[in-house]
Amino acid sequence: MSESKKEYKHVLTNHDITMLGIRSSLLQASFSYERMQSGGWLLAQLPYLEKIYGDDKEGLAASMTDNLEFINTHPNLVGFLMGLLVSMEEQHEDRSTIKGLKLALFGPIAGIGDAIFWFTLLPIVAGISSSFAAQGLIIGPIIFFSVYLVIWLLRITWTHAGYNLGVKAFEKLQENSDIIANSATILGITVVGAMIASYVSINLLPVINVGDSISVSIQTAFFDTIFPKLLPMCYTLLMYYYLTKKQANPVVLIVVTIIIALVCSAIGLL
Amino acid sequence: MHVTLVQGLLLALMTTICGVDFWLEAFFIFRPLIVSTLTGIILGNVKLGLTTGALTELAFAGLTPAGGTQPPNPILAGVMCTTIAYTTGSDAQSSLGLCLPFSFLMQYIILLYYSAFSFFMAGLDRAAAKADPKPIVKTNILCTAIVAVTYGVVVFACTYLAQDAMSALVNSMPEWITHGLSVAGGILPAIGFGMLLRVMMKPKYIPYFIAGFLAANFITMNNLLPVAILGTAFALADFYNAKQRKTEVEAAVASAQLTAGNGGEKHVGI
Repeated sequence: MSESKKEYKHVLTNHDITMLGIRSSLLQASFSYERMQSGGWLLAQLPYLEKIYGDDKEGLAASMTDNLEFINTHPNLVGFLMGLLVSMEEQHEDRSTIKGLKLALFGPIAGIGDAIFWFTLLPIVAGISSSFAAQGLIIGPIIFFSVYLVIWLLRITWTHAGYNLGVKAFEKLQENSDIIANSATILGITVVGAMIASYVSINLLPVINVGDSISVSIQTAFFDTIFPKLLPMCYTLLMYYYLTKKQANPVVLIVVTIIIALVCSAIGLL
Repeated sequence: MHVTLVQGLLLALMTTICGVDFWLEAFFIFRPLIVSTLTGIILGNVKLGLTTGALTELAFAGLTPAGGTQPPNPILAGVMCTTIAYTTGSDAQSSLGLCLPFSFLMQYIILLYYSAFSFFMAGLDRAAAKADPKPIVKTNILCTAIVAVTYGVVVFACTYLAQDAMSALVNSMPEWITHGLSVAGGILPAIGFGMLLRVMMKPKYIPYFIAGFLAANFITMNNLLPVAILGTAFALADFYNAKQRKTEVEAAVASAQLTAGNGGEKHVGI
């Protein structure tokens, strides 16, 4: 079906990539615990995916379905990832390659973004602006707003950078596309294993009192010393089992999970 | 001094806009410094807005939505700290203490929405399977609109209608429900990951999945970058092995053709 050498065909214009950067602001438009930013992630890219796939309804459906999978990254930097992946969609790279790369990159980008924007920049900008505002000077909030306006505008820059990187990597990706698709999935699945440990959290509250002075917390004394994230993994695999083997409806699983959480909270288990 | 009807409506409108900004994390006009300043302008006391805003901003600098967690609401903190200082004449410090219940109220509502919006995802999946963009757009707008209207209603109720009653409502909220919702928030991503595994997982990827999970359990890391690099190592190892095999197969095919006596024909298709 695919020749080993292809020319890079641009479907998207420079203006499209700029608009993609602006639309990346929609990332969290339908944030939910189950899928986090996936709804907004798809919404931001939707016009460009439609343009890329045109009359190819099957291709568009496959791309839309993939882009609705769990994603949680940093809103200020997401444009880079969108630009990169949209360039790969544009060249109809193997879906496994696109998915693997997305899974591998969104977590680290979230971590880097949080470190830069929330933990470093915000305290500095808030500190300086507040010191002006505390003296009743309107320049305080103006400085604050200006800094964040520039950061917002940089979204467009990140998006172009991601797209250009994707265009540059195109030839390398084409040479061994079948092998790369498998390697990208390996990369993705490794990160998914780690993400289950870091995004799903189940903490047992019960403490066993032994005599007057000794008490043993099941979570910290047992699970945390043997296998800290065993419960989140077990619950995820249970969900996987119901989804694949029992064809369970995700909505039912959401309802059951919320009920379990409320009941366990009421009886003091979680 | 009390808040007039027009002022109450203007505060509701202002926080609706800032609320959408917090939902999307786009322009950062949701920070208390900006919200308090705008509240001060609406109430006709800019200096009060600036001083209360500076104090609230610094108090909230450490409370960030990093990593998809929902902190006490910065908008309600900003608008209520200034409004309470304006109506009761108390100083900024004690107003900050009094505004916290309102901040928690909005935090709980957003937590509820994060769980509730999980139910919309099944509809998005169906739309994606049919390559139908309209439901994607509609659902995203609906979620954001629900959040926007909630901010307007809650702020109008808290500033103009019944400040004391709203504060009492927060204090009477049962602990097991609010705690239960945050517990549910910790577990719900398991369903998202279950769905991800349903499409990605093949037996040959299990070793990498286990490796990623193990790394996240026993290596202390602040973000997923170390695991992404580990995954890259696996991916590269697989890539070079597969490429080696491919070259060997090609060489074997070529030499087989040569020994068969078709000396002139060198072309090997892929």
